[in-house]
Amino acid sequence: MAKARDKSKPSAPPKKKGKKRGVNGPAVAAMKSSKASKPNPFETIWSRSKFSIIGRRGKGDERRVGRARSQAIEKRNKSLLKEYEESGKSSKFIDRRIGEKDDTLQDFDKAILRMQRQRQLKLKRSSKFNLPDEEDDDDDDDDSAFNQSHSLSAKDDFEDNVSLDDEDEAEEYIRLSNVADSSKHFPSRDMNDSLETSSQDGNENTHKTKKQVMMEIIQKSKFYKEQKAKDKEEDRHLMEKLDEDFRSLAQSEALRSLTQPTKMNALKALLNKNPTGKTSKEEKTTVDKELFKKEQPDAYDKLVKEMLHDIRARPSDRTKTPEEIALEEKERLELLEEERKNRMLAADDSDEGSEGSDNDEMPDIKKRKTLSGDDLGDSFSVGVETANKKGWVDDIYEREDAAGDKNKDVTSEGSDSEEDDRGADSDEDDSSGNEFDAIPSVKDWEQSDDDDLGTNDEAELEEKELNDNDSKGMKVRKMNSDNQKANVARRLLSKQETLPYVIEVPKNLVELCSLLDNRSDAEVVEAINRIRACNSIKLTAENRWKMQGFYGVLLQYFATLASQKPLNIGRINSLVRPLMEMSGETPFYAAICARERLSHIRTRFCTDIKLQDKSSWPSLKTLLLLRLWSLVFPCSDFRHAVMTPATLLMCEYLMRCPIVSGQDIVVGSFLCSMMLNVCKQSQKFCPEALNFLQVLLISAIDLKPGRKNLSQMYHTIELKTTKPWLRICSQVSVVHALEFFEVMNMEAESTYFSSDDFRASVLAFVAEILKGFVSIYEGLSSFTEIFSPISGLLLEVLQNDNIPQSLQNNLEDIVELIKKKTDEHQKLRQPLQMRKQKPEPIKLLNPKFEEDFVKGRDYDPDRERAEMKKMKKLLKSEKKGAMRELRKDNHYLFQVKQRDRVREEEERTEKYGKAMAFLQEQEHAFKSGQLGKGRKRRR
Amino acid sequence: MVRPYAVKGRKHKKRKMERREEAVEEEVVRGGEEEAEEVAAENEKKVDAVLDELPGIPSVAPVEKSKQPKVIFILEKASLEIGKVGKNFQLLNSDDHGNFLRKQNLNPADYRPDIVHHALLAILDSPLTKAGRLQALYVRTEKGVLFEVKPNVRMPRTIKRFSGLMLQLLQKLSITTTGSHDKLLNVIKNPVTRYLPVNSRIIGLSYSSEKLVQLKDYVAAASDDATLVFVVGAMAHGKISNENTDDYISVSGYPLSAACCINRICTALEQKWKIL
Repeated sequence: MAKARDKSKPSAPPKKKGKKRGVNGPAVAAMKSSKASKPNPFETIWSRSKFSIIGRRGKGDERRVGRARSQAIEKRNKSLLKEYEESGKSSKFIDRRIGEKDDTLQDFDKAILRMQRQRQLKLKRSSKFNLPDEEDDDDDDDDSAFNQSHSLSAKDDFEDNVSLDDEDEAEEYIRLSNVADSSKHFPSRDMNDSLETSSQDGNENTHKTKKQVMMEIIQKSKFYKEQKAKDKEEDRHLMEKLDEDFRSLAQSEALRSLTQPTKMNALKALLNKNPTGKTSKEEKTTVDKELFKKEQPDAYDKLVKEMLHDIRARPSDRTKTPEEIALEEKERLELLEEERKNRMLAADDSDEGSEGSDNDEMPDIKKRKTLSGDDLGDSFSVGVETANKKGWVDDIYEREDAAGDKNKDVTSEGSDSEEDDRGADSDEDDSSGNEFDAIPSVKDWEQSDDDDLGTNDEAELEEKELNDNDSKGMKVRKMNSDNQKANVARRLLSKQETLPYVIEVPKNLVELCSLLDNRSDAEVVEAINRIRACNSIKLTAENRWKMQGFYGVLLQYFATLASQKPLNIGRINSLVRPLMEMSGETPFYAAICARERLSHIRTRFCTDIKLQDKSSWPSLKTLLLLRLWSLVFPCSDFRHAVMTPATLLMCEYLMRCPIVSGQDIVVGSFLCSMMLNVCKQSQKFCPEALNFLQVLLISAIDLKPGRKNLSQMYHTIELKTTKPWLRICSQVSVVHALEFFEVMNMEAESTYFSSDDFRASVLAFVAEILKGFVSIYEGLSSFTEIFSPISGLLLEVLQNDNIPQSLQNNLEDIVELIKKKTDEHQKLRQPLQMRKQKPEPIKLLNPKFEEDFVKGRDYDPDRERAEMKKMKKLLKSEKKGAMRELRKDNHYLFQVKQRDRVREEEERTEKYGKAMAFLQEQEHAFKSGQLGKGRKRRR
Repeated sequence: MVRPYAVKGRKHKKRKMERREEAVEEEVVRGGEEEAEEVAAENEKKVDAVLDELPGIPSVAPVEKSKQPKVIFILEKASLEIGKVGKNFQLLNSDDHGNFLRKQNLNPADYRPDIVHHALLAILDSPLTKAGRLQALYVRTEKGVLFEVKPNVRMPRTIKRFSGLMLQLLQKLSITTTGSHDKLLNVIKNPVTRYLPVNSRIIGLSYSSEKLVQLKDYVAAASDDATLVFVVGAMAHGKISNENTDDYISVSGYPLSAACCINRICTALEQKWKIL
C-alpha cells in the first residue's frame, strides 16, 4: 500500500493534497454531528484510567477507543479511498473555485470573496489606455464624475482663495489711499499731532522748530544732571558704609589673626588716617575730589597688594613622625650646645638682665634634666630658651658657691679638649698593646673584653686617680655604701661641670670612659640619652652604624663595670634601661653581640673546668650579663638566638661545676633563681636547676652511711657534695636575707660561709626558689615524679631541730604544697585501659531527587545529551506512529479491495446466474416445444 | 601455530633461572650493602607492623554481621498521595492543600505525609539501624503502593524535601543514589509477604488490640531464630488490619504516635541486643 501511495502522490498535482485536506475537514466535522445523532454503542465506551490521581482531569478520560477507530476509518474514506479510486483514472475534476477550500466560510462570504477578486483583477489590469469596453466605460464615467466633482471642489477652493486675496488687496488699497490722504492733509494738521507722529517716526524730527529743539536739549541736560547728583549721593553713601564695615572688620579678631603684625600696623595707621581723610573729604569741595580719590586708594591698594602676597592660611602642624621628632630633638640639643659654647667663650655679657628671676625656677630645670629619652619630644616645646638660660645661670651660681673646691678646670668642660686628652691616652694605650680602634667592630671589643681591658681599665683608673683628685675621692666614697653614694652623686651633680648637649658618639670604650667617668649616675643616663637623641637611627642611615658601635661600647662598659672589684651597682642598674631600649632599636646587632659574648664565655668555661684548682663557676660579670640578656631578650620563645644558648649555658654551669665553697652555692642558687625567671613564662622544664636544688638540700641534711637512695641520685650530677655545706649545727634565731653582692665581694675563705647564719639564709633562698618551681610545674603531668624526692628531702631537712622557726614554716608550706599538687595529679591519673573502639555506623547514602520534579522532564545536567535523548525519543515515537498509520492504511485498502472483489464476484455470479437462468429457460422451452412455432401454434 | 603454553612457560622458567644466577653473581660482587639495606627495610617493616599494632591495643573482636538477628519494619497505610494541584503534581498534605482537598470532597485530615516522615526518621536514625540491625523497611501507602526503603538511606530532614523525594518516587517508581545506580527506594509489587523471610514473625501494633504487653519483656522473650517483623500504622486515623499478622499487640495504654511507638520498639531491641 505504501508503494501505491507513493505512486499516487507524484501523479497527483501538489495542490490536490491541500485541497483534499481541506475537503476532509468539514466532512469530518459534519460526520461528527451525524454520528452524535446516531450513536454507535462501541464508540460510547471510554478507556479506563489505571490510577486515579486527585485533581487530574484524567488523561485517559478523553479517550474513546471505538470512536477513534471509526474516526480513522472515516478519515481514510475521505482521503485514501478517493486517491485509490482516482488512481485508475486519466483525468479528474479539480475544484478551484474561490473559497471552496475554506470550510469555515458561508456561501455569502464566499460570494463576497469572489466579488473582491473580480474587482482586483479589474484594477490590476494595465489597460488604462485601451479603448473602453462597456464595463470599463461605466467605470470611467464614475471616475470622470468623481474627478469632475473633485475639480469642482478644487475650483471652489481656488475661487475662495481668490476672493480672500481680493479682500486683502482691497484693504491694502484702502489703507494706502488713506495714507495718501493723510499725507495730503498733513501740513494742515496740529503741532501736537505732528509731535505724536514724530515720536512714531524719526524722519519727522526735521520738522521741529528751533525753539522746541532747544527746550528738549535743556530738559535732557537737566535730567542728566539730576541723575548724576543722585548717583553721586548713592556712591557716597556706599563708600561710607564700606569704610565703616572695613573699620569694624579691621578691628575684629578675624583679620588680625589672619594678617601679619606689620601689616596690622599699617592697617591701623590706615584706619587712623581714614577718619581724618574723611573729615577732610567732607571739608573739601568737590573740586579736589579727584585728588582725594587718588590719595586714599593708594594706601589701601598697597595694603591689599601686600596682603595678596601674604600666606593665605596656614594649616596646623601635622602630627610628627618619629623621625621628625628625633630630628627636632637633635636640632634642639645642637642649639643648646652652641649656646653653651658661646656662653663659655664670652663670659658674662648679658646675664645681668636675666639674673633677677632665676632661683624660683630651679626645680623646674632639675626636673627637665632628669627626663628620660622617651619624653623628649613633647615637653621641650615651650619656653626652652628661658629654661636653658636659667640652667646656665644656675650653674654659675652653684659654681660660685662651690668655689672652694675648684677642682674642675673649666677648659676640660668642652668635650673637644677632654677627648683630645683621652685620645692621647688611648694612643699611649695602643702603643702598649691595647687593641682599641676607631672602628667599633664586634670582634675588637669582644676580644679585648676581659683580659686586656680589665687591666687597661685598671691602668686607666690609676691614671685618672693620679690626674684628678676628685674622682679618686669619689671612688673612695663610692666604696663606702649606697646611701652615701647617692648623697655624693647629688653633690657631684652640683659640682660637676655640665654635660655637653651634643655628644659625639664614642667610638670605643676609652672615649666612653672619658665621657662618663666622674659623672653621677643620673648624668650618665642623661649623657647616653643625649647621644641617642643626637644620633637617632631614625635620622640617617649611617647613624645605625654609629649606634651599633655605641651599643657595643656601652655593653663593654657594662661588662667593665660589672668586673670592677668595688661594684658600682647603681651605675650598672642605670645602664640597664638604655641598654634595653637600644637593643630594641638594633635587635639584630644586639643579638650578635650577645651570641659572641656567650660563645666566648662558653669556651672559657670549657677551659676552666678542665683545670682542677680553678673555680669554674661564672664570675659576677657573667652573671650580670646573663641577667641583662634575660631582661633584654624574650625568655618565653621556644627557640631564641640568644636565650636558648644562654639558658643552656646556665644549665651547664649548674650541672658541671663542682661546689667547692660557700660562694659557689650562692652563685648556683642565683643561677637557679634566674632559671626560674626564664622558665616562668614558657614553663619549660629545667631539670638541672631542680637537681642543683636537690643537691643543696642533701647538703643540708646530715649524711648517714648506707643511704643508697641518695647516692643513686648523684649519678645525674658529676660531682658529689661530700661536705654538709648547709647543715645548720646550732640554733639560729633570725634568718637574714642573702645579700648577693656583698657575698660575692667576700673572699672564698671567709668565715661567713661556714656560719649558720649564712646557711639559714641560703636555705631560705632555696626554699623560695623551690616554691617558684613548684608553682610553675604544677601543670606538668609528671609533677609527682619530679617533686616527690624533693619533698622527701625537705622532710629530712625538717628533722633538724636547729632550723629557725620561720624557715621551718616555710619548708613545711612547700612540703604541704607539693603534697597537695601530687594528690591532685594522682587523682587525675587513670590505669591503662583497653582501647575502646567506636562502633562503626553503616554508611549512609543520599538519595538523588529533584526539588521540583516534573514527570517526563529530563534532569540530565548535560543539556546536549538531554536534548539528543529527547529528539531520539520523538523520532522513535514518530516513526512508530507512521508505521502504525501505514499499517492501518494497508489494512484499510485491503479491505476496500476485498470489498470490491466481493462485489465483483457477486455481480459476476449474479450475471452468471441470470445467464444460466436464461439459458435454462431457453432450453426448457426448447425441450418442451414451446419455442418458435410451437408457441405460435399454441396461441 | 601457537606454542603450547607449558613449553613456553618452561622456557621462561629456564631463562629466569639463568638470569637469577647472573643476578646472584652480581649481588655477590656488590657485596653486603644490599643485604644491609634489606635488613634495614625488613626492620622498618617490622617497626611499621609494631606501629600498626601499637594503637590497636586489642579491641573486642567483632561478631560476624551476617549471623546477627535483624528486624524488619513495615509502615502500613502511609498517607502518601500525589495530587495535581494547579499545573503541578504535589504530595498532598493537609497544611498546603486543605482547600484543594475540600474542593475534591476529601478530608484534609487524612493527608499526613509528616507521620510517615517522622516514622521513617525514627527508624533510620535509631542506633539499631546504625548498627546494621535493620534488615528491611517497607512502606505501603493508603492506595496500596508498596515500596521498600534501604536501611542506608539518608532521609531528607525537612518535610519539604521529603515531599519532593516521595513525589519523585511515586512517579518514577525508584530513587537511586547520587553516585551510582543503586536503588535506595524502589516501588515493588504487592503483597509484602513475598519479601519477608521464611521464618518471620509478623507483629502488628495497634492501640485497639486487646493484648497489652510490656515491649521489653515481649521482645526479650522472642527467639532470635525468627526474624521480627513489626507492622506499624503511619496514618492519622484508623488501624491496621490483623489479617496477615501472627501477633497483634498494643504496647501502651495510650494511643501512641507512629514515631513514638517505633522508638519504643527500637529501644527495646537495642536493650536486648546490647546496642548502645
